[in-house]
Amino acid sequence: VLSFTSVFKDLSSCDWFIAALTFESALSSHYILLVPGISIDKTMGLIHGLEVFVKSFLLFLLCSKSDGRESESNYVTCGSLVKLLNTRHQVRLHSHDVKYGSGSGQQSVTGVESADDANSYWRIRGKPNGTCQRGAPIQCGQAIRITHMTTGRNLHTHHFSSPLSNNQEVSAFGENGEGDDLDVWKVQCDGSAWERDDEVRFKHVGTNAFLSVTGEQYGHPIRGQREVHGMSAPSQNNYWKAMEGVFIQPSQEPPRHDELHDEF
Amino acid sequence: MAVKGMNLCSVCCLVLYFVAAVLAGRDFYKILGVSKSATVKDIKKAYRKLALQLHPDRNPDDPTAADKFADLGAAYEVLSDDDKRKQYDAYGEDGLKEGHQGSHSDIFSSFFGDFGFMFGGNRQGQQDKNIPRGNDIVLDLEVTLEEVYSGNFVEVVRNKPVAKEAPGKRKCNCRQEMRTTQLGPGRFQMTQEVVCDECPNIKLVNEERTLEVEIEQGVRDEMEYPFIGEGEPHIDGEPGDLRFRIKVLKHPVFERRGDDLYTNVTISLIEALVGFEMDILHLDGHKVHIERDKPGYQAWCSTMEEGGRPT
Repeated sequence: VLSFTSVFKDLSSCDWFIAALTFESALSSHYILLVPGISIDKTMGLIHGLEVFVKSFLLFLLCSKSDGRESESNYVTCGSLVKLLNTRHQVRLHSHDVKYGSGSGQQSVTGVESADDANSYWRIRGKPNGTCQRGAPIQCGQAIRITHMTTGRNLHTHHFSSPLSNNQEVSAFGENGEGDDLDVWKVQCDGSAWERDDEVRFKHVGTNAFLSVTGEQYGHPIRGQREVHGMSAPSQNNYWKAMEGVFIQPSQEPPRHDELHDEF
Repeated sequence: MAVKGMNLCSVCCLVLYFVAAVLAGRDFYKILGVSKSATVKDIKKAYRKLALQLHPDRNPDDPTAADKFADLGAAYEVLSDDDKRKQYDAYGEDGLKEGHQGSHSDIFSSFFGDFGFMFGGNRQGQQDKNIPRGNDIVLDLEVTLEEVYSGNFVEVVRNKPVAKEAPGKRKCNCRQEMRTTQLGPGRFQMTQEVVCDECPNIKLVNEERTLEVEIEQGVRDEMEYPFIGEGEPHIDGEPGDLRFRIKVLKHPVFERRGDDLYTNVTISLIEALVGFEMDILHLDGHKVHIERDKPGYQAWCSTMEEGGRPT
């Protein structure tokens, strides 16, 4: 049972499996299965042989699949470019050079159905003045900024009302990736870091609102696009998943410059 | 005695056979132009440089170009993988187990993109400007000054939508046309109609591949590395490009001006009057020794011959 759960969880399954194996073999001597028609010795031999075969086969499968790199390539890392899909409404987080006609009048953020629009790409960066090493997996609970690729503005929210649903307006703010303190969001997920297959929530640092979509649609000139807003309560509407993108892997760093600080 | 002679002969034959077997395999290190102790980074760098030179499209007059290029691909495939490299070092090319995973075009496109064989940035699509193109993606890649000094490779996983054929047909190239209908003798009406062609149906499927971005030694800020065809797809045309724009992070100690490195060093008054010597830790970890035995001003600067950036 332990070994099978480790297969499905895919968490450094190799080490977990080895631990499970040793635990199991310690206990195996206590179990005796009786097969009618065959003597107990032969039965034990058969079962033991079968056990060993199954275990070694599973071990081979697991250990051959898990190289050291497999764990890294499944995380969303700092500096990566992603498209974020709202899993409830199947729309991607999107922005463009169209401003809100009400509220703050800042650049609008919407949800779109199409999968091939370059305006749906957002860059994951650290918070202002924070250290976010290129290629490092984003930890659950880490504060990040989400910067729109084509316009260079940060995902932002504030105490303005959204135009269609009167929730909290979410806009794109700043220039060249620099905005203000209301650009920071925390990634909420299970586990230690943001896995690409995970559905995560984004909670705003400052207003505590969750990035959400509830389905309201805009008319002309952005017909069919959904409203993206902030809501105070977590729900099925605030789950997002990383889809297409460019995911940077951690690389071998040349010697860091930390040591130099002591000399000067 | 005859038996001994026979044994010697067979031993000789065996030795000759082994020598021939080893020599029959290709020398991958020589093909790539690297030493036996080269790091993976050196191997990637060598491959990238040679692939651009040896690509058959670049050498249309050379009949051996395709073979040389295939050798290059095989060499990279073996030497860039730790296990395969160990086997090759021990047993030669024939000692390698079967099962070449990636075709050479996969290896090539991980360095240059799908359409990487169109060199010099001139895409064949530009000849016919009517082919629509998907959006380009520009990604700022932050690099440290150490990486610029020593060079580095960044691995990147690209997950992108790819247009695939789907059953059925779809409407494409829709346009407005004026149609003339006859209402009666001598009476006509012109109406606008939307007319579409029929094209094979296309659906978007997400595909993933690993790309290798090289941070070349001495690369300047804002320089771009394009991967052709790795941008956004266009249903009726070609995909756009993915470009990595290098952004060099500010270094706490060193500053780059041109190809020179500048740094400030603080010394005590006594040292300024009498002279001093010290070691400075360079960007790749080696120590640089400087000394002065005469009194110096505050703004004295010493130029180090080899301390600057390799070009």
